[in-house]
Amino acid sequence: MKPVGSSMLFSLRELVQWLGFATFELFLHLGALLAFSVLVALQADHLAPGMSWWLVFVPLFAADGLSTYFTAIVSIRLYQEGERRLAVLRLLWVLTVLSLKLVCEVLLCQKLAEQEQARDLWFGLIVSPLFILLQLLMIRACRVN
Amino acid sequence: MSLAQRVLLTWIFTLVFLIMLVLRLDGKVNWNWFLIFLPVWIFDAILLLMLVVKMAGRCKPGYDPRNGSQDLRKKAWYLVAMLLKLAFCLTLCARLEQLTEIKLTFVCIPLWVLLIGAMAELGYNIFPDRRD
Repeated sequence: MKPVGSSMLFSLRELVQWLGFATFELFLHLGALLAFSVLVALQADHLAPGMSWWLVFVPLFAADGLSTYFTAIVSIRLYQEGERRLAVLRLLWVLTVLSLKLVCEVLLCQKLAEQEQARDLWFGLIVSPLFILLQLLMIRACRVN
Repeated sequence: MSLAQRVLLTWIFTLVFLIMLVLRLDGKVNWNWFLIFLPVWIFDAILLLMLVVKMAGRCKPGYDPRNGSQDLRKKAWYLVAMLLKLAFCLTLCARLEQLTEIKLTFVCIPLWVLLIGAMAELGYNIFPDRRD
């Protein structure tokens, strides 16, 4: 049976086009989010004493790393097959998104892990990469359309 | 709705929610958490309305019932997903407002079910042959 691929608000095809990530990468990031939320709940309920916040964020960092690796391989394959422009564009876009996401995660982790020293680190600063990401996504949406 | 309209809708609600969240977390405003989640409630209400209208469209006399059970099952899953998300947000707000002392692990259960379901759906799309 052919997959229907429709979704709640966006179909999977539209999502892949808009976000610029492959379905497998979306799957990876969802899995990381699941593991992360489990660890956050454990940490917040003090069910795992001695666990540091950096450990809680490991699934997200791992997903970023794997996603970078996956993108590098796809881009190299595209480059070898002669689709040079597409390869470079894809690599640039994914690296931009992943680095913005990573900056946000590292800052948030620092804020949570070192409550005393990171008092000056206000949440507006932590979330600012996400605001940049939102603008980029809007620009990309115009192009996809 | 066209793709541009849907993107704009999602974008605006995400932006407003992020701004309100940051203001509340930084202590610039001291609003109720249910008010902070207002963009989420409105967005969910719009999605639910769209879903219900689509499901109601099946009852029209001229509806073509081909592939109908598959479609209905998908719609039902979306409805359940929306309700799970709503349950998660509501209990999270109640917990943040300290209306209840429920453990975060229980608050997160709807979220986990939702994520597992979404991953299963994505998995079917990655490995379509496994379904046959």
